[in-house]
Amino acid sequence: MRSPFAYIPRRGPLQSARPGAAVTYLGALVVVAFLYSSPFVLLAAGAAACIAGCLAGASKAVRASLRMGLALALLIVVVEALVVDRGETVLLRAGHWPILGQVDITLEAIVAGTVVGLRAAVTIVAFAVYSACVDPDRVTRALRPLAARSALTATLVSRLVPVAAADAARLRDAARLRGPGAAPVGKGPLARRLLAGSLDRSVDVAATLELRGYSLSGRRLEQRREPSRHDARFYLAAAAVLAAAIVGKSLGADDFHTYPTIQLGLGPATAAVSAVVAASGLAPWRRSGRRV
Amino acid sequence: MSDLAIRRGVAPALAVEGLTYSYARAERPALVDVSLEVAPGEFVLLAGRSASGKSTLLRAACGLVPHFHGGEVEGRVMVAGLDAIGAGPGEMAAAVGYLAQDPETQVVSTTVAAEIELPLEMRGDGAADRARAVEEVALALAIPHLLGRAVDTLSGGELQRVALAAALVTRPRLVLLDEPTSQLDPVSGDELIWLLRRLNEEWGVAVVLAEHRLERCLAAADRVVAVEEGRIGFDGEPREFLAWTRTADPTLMTPAARLFSLAGIEPLPVGVRDARRALEGRATTVPHPGKGSSEEISPRPRFPRLGKRDKSPRALEAKGLWVELDDGSGPRDVLRGIDLAIAPGERVALMGRNGAGKSTLLRTAAGLIDPVAGRVAAERMALLTQNPSDYLVRERIGDELPGEAGYAALRAVGMEHAVDADPRDVSGGERQRLALAIALAGRLDGEGVPGLVALDEPTRGMDRGRKDGLVALVDRLAAQGAAVVVATHDVEFAAAFAGRVVLLGDGVVIADGAGADVLSGGWYFATEVARVLDAPGVVTPEHGAALLAGGSP
Repeated sequence: MRSPFAYIPRRGPLQSARPGAAVTYLGALVVVAFLYSSPFVLLAAGAAACIAGCLAGASKAVRASLRMGLALALLIVVVEALVVDRGETVLLRAGHWPILGQVDITLEAIVAGTVVGLRAAVTIVAFAVYSACVDPDRVTRALRPLAARSALTATLVSRLVPVAAADAARLRDAARLRGPGAAPVGKGPLARRLLAGSLDRSVDVAATLELRGYSLSGRRLEQRREPSRHDARFYLAAAAVLAAAIVGKSLGADDFHTYPTIQLGLGPATAAVSAVVAASGLAPWRRSGRRV
Repeated sequence: MSDLAIRRGVAPALAVEGLTYSYARAERPALVDVSLEVAPGEFVLLAGRSASGKSTLLRAACGLVPHFHGGEVEGRVMVAGLDAIGAGPGEMAAAVGYLAQDPETQVVSTTVAAEIELPLEMRGDGAADRARAVEEVALALAIPHLLGRAVDTLSGGELQRVALAAALVTRPRLVLLDEPTSQLDPVSGDELIWLLRRLNEEWGVAVVLAEHRLERCLAAADRVVAVEEGRIGFDGEPREFLAWTRTADPTLMTPAARLFSLAGIEPLPVGVRDARRALEGRATTVPHPGKGSSEEISPRPRFPRLGKRDKSPRALEAKGLWVELDDGSGPRDVLRGIDLAIAPGERVALMGRNGAGKSTLLRTAAGLIDPVAGRVAAERMALLTQNPSDYLVRERIGDELPGEAGYAALRAVGMEHAVDADPRDVSGGERQRLALAIALAGRLDGEGVPGLVALDEPTRGMDRGRKDGLVALVDRLAAQGAAVVVATHDVEFAAAFAGRVVLLGDGVVIADGAGADVLSGGWYFATEVARVLDAPGVVTPEHGAALLAGGSP
């Protein structure tokens, strides 16, 4: 069974666009997630990434990455709530814990953890959409002028996730098939093996790229010009998102503080930035052809 | 003066001088003072046991050693005038095509067409040249139907052919191949060897081929180099090599040579044609191909070995099994109404061409794939899948297989000496045995023995001695009541262990019968001895020698 994060060729605008355009578009959403702390803007960025993925036909990748992202967000919330005792609204005095000392669960720490978790979730969803919709072959080719001497760099950028995704399913199967006398494989060792194995496999792939002539310094490649009429819309969407984010930031759209008490502003600037960011998720929308 | 001698006067395609190499953290060197010269247009077969240093020598010739593997190196490796150790694999790409042992590790593109086209694109070839070269190499390797497929949907054998196509598409001056037929069906394996011979003869491409199944390629080779514990043990012509194996290492002898050796016939033959010619005029008549006295094979019953009233115990039972797999371009029928029953204690070889559905059948029986129709039931099944690296999770072999049961499993596959080694540092054949130990740990004796043991291509990277060890392990499990099913392309191994052979073709069972009958009745799915003698039921050198001696096989 194929991984939900594996690239599948489709005829959608996001898949047709050049890798540079697609990466700029999805990257803009990640930039917003790191630039803003306002939950409204973060939710808008997350919604945009989800809508973009679904419109591009990668709804499986969106669902899988949402599960991963929300699980990670929950973990971050729990850690933040246990470790940080700042904030005035104490919800629970949990007593004295080993290592952690006095643990007071505050509303502010939970909200602060939620913001960090949302940020991580947005990044994971955007990366999943990239992995499922952007052809790694085209990324490798696009990187060649930039990293002609380093097949490893190119491989890590373009292949790590697809390679890991392909390995994950096989590793899970093999873990189920181990004999009762072999050491059992839990999720932790499997995840470590997946990460180490993905790096190993990326090195293998890099070696193969070298053997295929990736760093040949012969005559210049006949560049494959694969222009797409969709490039412009993704560059425009990314520019609109970034411009709105920067202008909004200067106008106070990121009016949000967690400590000592929560201050959440929803002024016109915040609403406008959220609207622009969320609307950018429609960029991969494909119009049906005109019927005669 | 022969063409080869003339070519030997020019710059060699490969020149290795005093090469000694140790992998990082290795206790002993993998190669010791190796010197070797390969002339342009020469076809050299690298023979040797598992972990003898064949793969390392090939990696050194294409620059992967030491550039990607690290370690310490002494000596010189020159390829078409380039210093491989100094230049590294990137610079060598223009002159060398390399195919590694694991095809899974050497595909870098999303689709088959893109994978084959990549080296040409990197070289700067124009679109028309690329399209033509891709088409031609795809036709040569019989994979035009795969060009549109995603690489992660291919079977192991299909992947091997795609990786080979990518290595050959630029028509390099030197081609280095590490067990290129290990996952190919007999048809594709034979065709590949003759394709290499054709490239070699018509285009002057030098070929260095490491292989365990020597019977497949010995007749095509100009020269054989045997590697023993990192040193060159023998370097000479194929016939001289066979004579050398008698005293130095009988496990390297081909089945036809073993047949002659057992029957006391000289000289030992380098291939089927050679053997048949030598037997012509002898008292023992060898039937002409196609004129065998075998009985007419009766049509396959609709439900082989499945009687409606048969209530005998079954280790595996499939009825009307239908499996579809989606490779991204929509569902595709892989198994089409399979009916099969296997009894406890049976030893079955599951054979068929690449993509016939062998792995899918085993994975469905193990519950890894859901059928769309029909049903399959397997009793306490143990399955070893095709990629051994998937079983290796930890950094020490002893940690993978702790305790008494783990050590017993290691001992069963002959790996007890490597308890402290890192699984990633052992050879391909050793990895295969280690994965087998992990799959069977705690299941080798008594109550733990599974009802069904299924092994998917378990002989990759194994020499004959190790395969004999695997046959003994299969016997041990079968003697305790386990049915053993092995999906394999290795007809000689199948003849050695299987009481029954099931041949799949395009998702259906096309032959099902006694191993000796199925493996002696065809052109491709037949052992070398069967092709030499063409006598019904005679598939192994021992049986063949008995026939030649005048006894009944």
